[in-house]
Amino acid sequence: MNNLFKRFSVILALVVATVFAPVSMAHDDATDHTHAATEGQIWAQLKAGATGETTSHGQFHNQPINTYDLRVLELRSDLLAPALMAALFGMIIIFVVFIKINGISKLHGGFSGKMVYRWSKFDVSIHWLGAIPCLLLILTGLTLLAGRFFFQPYIGEGFWAALVYGAKQVHDIMAIPFMIGWALMTLLWAKNQLPKMYDLKWMMVVGGYINFGPFKGKHPDAGFANAGEKLWFWAFAVFGLVISASGMLLLFPNLFEPSRTLSLIALILHSVSAIIITAFSIVHIFMATVMSEGGMECMVSGYCDENWASQHHNLWFDEIKENGTLKYKD
Amino acid sequence: MATMKFLCDTKRCIECNGCVTACKNENDSALEWGIQRRRVVTINDGQPGEASISVACMHCTDAPCEAVCPANCFYKTEDGLTLHNKDTCIGCGYCLYACPFGAPQFPKQGAFGSRGKMDKCTFCAGGPEENHSDAERQKYGANRLAEGKLPMCAELCATKALLAGDAEVVSSIFRERVAYRGSKNAIWG
Repeated sequence: MNNLFKRFSVILALVVATVFAPVSMAHDDATDHTHAATEGQIWAQLKAGATGETTSHGQFHNQPINTYDLRVLELRSDLLAPALMAALFGMIIIFVVFIKINGISKLHGGFSGKMVYRWSKFDVSIHWLGAIPCLLLILTGLTLLAGRFFFQPYIGEGFWAALVYGAKQVHDIMAIPFMIGWALMTLLWAKNQLPKMYDLKWMMVVGGYINFGPFKGKHPDAGFANAGEKLWFWAFAVFGLVISASGMLLLFPNLFEPSRTLSLIALILHSVSAIIITAFSIVHIFMATVMSEGGMECMVSGYCDENWASQHHNLWFDEIKENGTLKYKD
Repeated sequence: MATMKFLCDTKRCIECNGCVTACKNENDSALEWGIQRRRVVTINDGQPGEASISVACMHCTDAPCEAVCPANCFYKTEDGLTLHNKDTCIGCGYCLYACPFGAPQFPKQGAFGSRGKMDKCTFCAGGPEENHSDAERQKYGANRLAEGKLPMCAELCATKALLAGDAEVVSSIFRERVAYRGSKNAIWG
């Protein structure tokens, strides 16, 4: 009897063991998978940007690793910084050479002395409200993006520190008047900047500014604004918006709380817009001050010479003569 | 020379924040209110797979902060550390955007909470000022490396989860631990 009981219990133990063993082993496996993450699994989670709990109140401190495309760093140093240098100094060199070869656009009949009303005092004010900060922003922005590669190697440590600090302060402050100027100009001047069919013809002969070859002596039609000015206006409107929006993210991080990756994207968009606006600004300044005789007067007094108006903006001049809005300076 | 690195063993870190306290205490002279150079982050807190890791500047070899800085205020030491010059720093915040580890931190100063000079872990190696000078103490905190000592955070880590030192030594210690512990469901690590 005793012997029989022993045998039975051995059999029972074997059966129980065979039935339940796989279950308990499977349970062990499950425990290993979920409860004890390996270093590899932890690393994968951290690299994917996992956030967690921390007692620190530091910015972004609840995320151990923020992963982003590291190529943005090379994009800035190898491409955008030299491009902004080229947009400023390269364009100046190109324009100086161009004017040496081509000469400027003179008024055919000389100055008439009769000044035609073109811009209101308010228009002139908002132009300079945007323009002066814009120039300062270009110079300080160039220092911030490209200074360490192109200026720092040639100047002393203390001077560099003062220069880059000054550039940052001026850049931050000038952003505000620039944005006000940009918004007013874009909103108030857009109606005169809509593209027309004759703008294509203007583009075909490069505005008649080229004094040699098949382009020589051409005088394409232009309304209040010519096709080149319209192109500049819309580039300024679009990239001015991009540069203002991205700049606001960078200037007021406490207000908008952008992520780090978004801030880096804003930095890239800001630089790209700056390169385009800078290149256009150089062209715009050269056209107004040197290239087009009598052009600068428009943004000084708001009046232009009658001969300048009929030579460069014939359709506009004909229109104001016809509808009686032509106003001479007293 | 050595290439100094930190390594945090997540199997050993018990989220005691001893490293944080050690760092704050050691570098107190340079730390403005609210600035913390090191922190412990716990992922999956209270859930399966919970792990804590102590994070500060990792002293990258090809440091993103150094690449993005407009003022070029970062420099590498001969020990492979990434340090910065607070006199050149302009407080733009680009290094914080570029740093994968959130190491650069800024005291809030001036109008609209604009950023002051950046502060981050120095591996207890001070800064560009003369070793153990007042200027160094006030701007960068401790300089233990000049005394032949390692950073306070790692030295005071109770479980030796946080290791600091030459990369080869640190990684051989960690490799030995991993081999000893074994890992059922992983080929390595």
